[in-house]
Amino acid sequence: MGLFDMEKKEGYTIIVGCGRLGANLASAMSDEGADVLIIDTDEGAFRKLSPSYGGITVVGDATDIQILRDADIAKATAVVSVTNNDNINILVAQIAKEMFHIPHVIARLYDPERECVYHELGIDTICPAVLSAKEIDKILHLQQVQEGAL
Amino acid sequence: MKTRIFLIGGFQKTKFLAKSLLKKGYHVTAINKDTEKCLAMAEIENLTVFNGDGTKPFVLEDADAYNADIAIALTEYDADNLVICELCKKKFHIKKTVALISDPKKTEFFYRMGIDSVVCAITAVANIIEQQTFLDEMATLVPIGEGRVSIAQIPIAATAPAVGKKLWEINLPKEVIVGCVLRGEQSIVPQGDTRILTGDVLVLISANKQQMAAIKELTGR
Repeated sequence: MGLFDMEKKEGYTIIVGCGRLGANLASAMSDEGADVLIIDTDEGAFRKLSPSYGGITVVGDATDIQILRDADIAKATAVVSVTNNDNINILVAQIAKEMFHIPHVIARLYDPERECVYHELGIDTICPAVLSAKEIDKILHLQQVQEGAL
Repeated sequence: MKTRIFLIGGFQKTKFLAKSLLKKGYHVTAINKDTEKCLAMAEIENLTVFNGDGTKPFVLEDADAYNADIAIALTEYDADNLVICELCKKKFHIKKTVALISDPKKTEFFYRMGIDSVVCAITAVANIIEQQTFLDEMATLVPIGEGRVSIAQIPIAATAPAVGKKLWEINLPKEVIVGCVLRGEQSIVPQGDTRILTGDVLVLISANKQQMAAIKELTGR
């Protein structure tokens, strides 16, 4: 018993939203042997998880504090909120940070404009549009450099 | 300058609130992402209507949120209302923010996030229904301070045990006072020796849910 509890404490991640990003992340982390729990309101969403996924799936609304408590959020070391709704991600992230004092809280935001407000709260935000723009810029830049070199 | 109030999201509630606030002389701006609803609201005289998603900073900025004094978030989603209020508070420095929420369990969390006033429709309606059910048409109750304190208006019928008694003779709970006695056209601020008569209407101020015990003591029901 004690042994398992020890392992659980070492790194327990809650992922909210089983979309492409959530499912991929959960599958990858589970493959690495991490303890993962994924929450989605739609049971059908869990089919996106890889067949080898060894974590827990919970059907429910993660903005409901009771669902988070049922998911043992107090023991989590990280909460990643990646639903397709920015505002829900923000809400979940803030509940995790402010009510349960989770050390690592990450929220995916489609709209980079709201980011500034949430950085000061200690919530890390990931913005796909900004990341993609940087990446594309990098590729183009690299090509230009190569062309210039030729 | 007029106090500027932002109403973000919602429709029926927003329309009603907008009319009431306009009548009181405020400058009211309604923001809604639904074009149809915006058109319907635009029929209200003097109401400024903005079509856009109020959870987006640029929409609020276009609506001149920097000069707003009060923001009220009335969308049907708790998450949206939280974001609206936080943007208003942190980005636009609006002094007072009010959020409507549907999940009563989040009330405390919303307050903790710095929202000035959190209104939970479900709790409010449930409380009113509960009071109405138990009190019948005997009394009206106004909860204040999130229901910690209530002001009740209690008509005294001829059969009530309090009739003919002086106020100090009635065994009221400690946290209840009779603030006023309405007798016909008169309104009396009672003393301990004020006698309660049939047909009086007592204005009762009670804390910590003591009103039921007090009402029972006064009216026998």
